[in-house]
Amino acid sequence: MIALGLTLIYGVLQIPNFSHGALYMIGAYVAYFSIVSFGFPYWVGLITSVITLFCVGMFVERVAFRPLYDKPLINAFIVAVGLILIFENGALAIWGPEFRRLPAPSSAVIELSGAIITMQRIIVIAAALLLIAAVHFFVKKTRLGAAIEATAQNREGAQLMGINVYLMGGITFGIGTSLAAVAGVLIAPIFLIYPSMGVPVIGMAFVIMIVGGMGSFLGAVAGGYLIGLLETLVSSYITTYFTEVILFGLLVVVLAIKPTGLFGKGH
Amino acid sequence: MLLQVKNIESFYGLSKALSDVSLSIEEGEIVCVLGANGAGKSTLLKTIAGQVKPRNGQVVFRGKRIDQIEPHRIVREGVTLCPEDKKIFPQMSVFKNLYLGAWIYGKDKVRIEANIVDVYNLFPVLKERKNQDAGTLSGGEQQMLVIGRSLMSNPWLLMLDEPSLGLAPLMVERIFEVIRQINARRTTILLVEQNASIALNVANRGYIMEAGRITMEGASYELLNNEKVKKAYLGF
Ligand SMILES: Nc1ncnc2c1ncn2[C@@H]1O[C@H](COP(=O)(O)OP(=O)(O)OP(=O)(O)O)[C@@H](O)[C@H]1O
Ligand SMILES: [Mg+2]
Repeated sequence: MIALGLTLIYGVLQIPNFSHGALYMIGAYVAYFSIVSFGFPYWVGLITSVITLFCVGMFVERVAFRPLYDKPLINAFIVAVGLILIFENGALAIWGPEFRRLPAPSSAVIELSGAIITMQRIIVIAAALLLIAAVHFFVKKTRLGAAIEATAQNREGAQLMGINVYLMGGITFGIGTSLAAVAGVLIAPIFLIYPSMGVPVIGMAFVIMIVGGMGSFLGAVAGGYLIGLLETLVSSYITTYFTEVILFGLLVVVLAIKPTGLFGKGH
Repeated sequence: MLLQVKNIESFYGLSKALSDVSLSIEEGEIVCVLGANGAGKSTLLKTIAGQVKPRNGQVVFRGKRIDQIEPHRIVREGVTLCPEDKKIFPQMSVFKNLYLGAWIYGKDKVRIEANIVDVYNLFPVLKERKNQDAGTLSGGEQQMLVIGRSLMSNPWLLMLDEPSLGLAPLMVERIFEVIRQINARRTTILLVEQNASIALNVANRGYIMEAGRITMEGASYELLNNEKVKKAYLGF
């Protein structure tokens, strides 16, 4: 899900948004406070977080990234790293370093042929599938989605059709960050919420995006499943210590064989 | 006067690509701009389309200054550009490319449908290939798609940047026949060409550009009979 948001943003804006993990963290905090402090039900917290992060995403794109479109990519890199520092330290200053746990909406446990799975994990998987389908539908079947895809395929061409490519960039960024928010809120009951929770996730998301092929929608989905599967297999059958080494090994192997990634289109 | 370009100067960074360029087009005309490689022809069209902002001078379209507004808003004013390098959406179907050409009409389905039918009548091959990815079309078909896509917004002024580029002679003739047809339906055309003889054949008037300046202008027959033009652009 996080990789999907990253891929959307990269595909349309050509920005490798390293601050995506930090936005995922903000999404989790927003949900946490609306649920725990204001007493909203879990689903309301999720929606609040999605809407808030959509706006935050559009704002970040407008203020931080839009002025850099014509500049060398290194500028966007620096801004993204700067954003991570701002968001993480901001979260640390405002909410403190302590770990917080979001209560799961359902504590049910399901036994499936001997293995025990919590309801939350099933929700996460179902939500991921649903969101992938929803984003796919949006891009392929709606007018706005077509304009966003056109902007990704040929920015100047889209502009010559009268499409406001800056607005499309903003909307895409907003959608990408709300996807990160959904991921953050869904994962929060399983893992914990803390200011640097985005760090381990963002590395993984980039591996997925690169393995799948930069900017390729199908690649992000396939890459996500491939890596999820590999991670599970490696950690359950071999060792839990080397999963990261193996993941980055996979990255190197894929790039050596097909430098544009599994589903990349090349140039 | 439909379009008036007044003394514009455009730059790429520090280098000047257009100096003191003026031209004007009446409604219903076909006007061509001729010139060698690097003369600034594409830059002139990009400046009118808003992709390059002129540092000095004005572009006035239907009585309104358009030289400082964003390219996507200029399309709404009724000016479209078919760029030299086409800029189609390669992994989208021919139909979707055309559909996006009518972006400014929003959700006006009736209008969009009618325009698509019009374009299919003009270029039947696009109808045959409507579900094919645009990137898989031949060069000539892509040129038709680009022109068709630009017509989807019913422009007052259609600008074509070297539509004959890289096409076989037969295909070039087809394209120019269609340009005449489009003009016959009251769309004004500004045409940039390397192929001077065919361009002057279809145009009412022409301008000659050299090194970022307009050095000559006149009715097509005058230019066709001008000794300098004959030598430099017609090859005899
Ligand atoms: N994006 C750019 N950046 C810098 N300089 C440019 C750019 N585009 C064009 N130029 C320069 O501006 C001048 C005019 O270029 P332009 O493309 O307008 O010429 P042209 O008449 O269309 O040529 P051609 O017939 O080859 O298409 C040239 O000297 C070119 O090198
Ligand atoms: Mg040119």
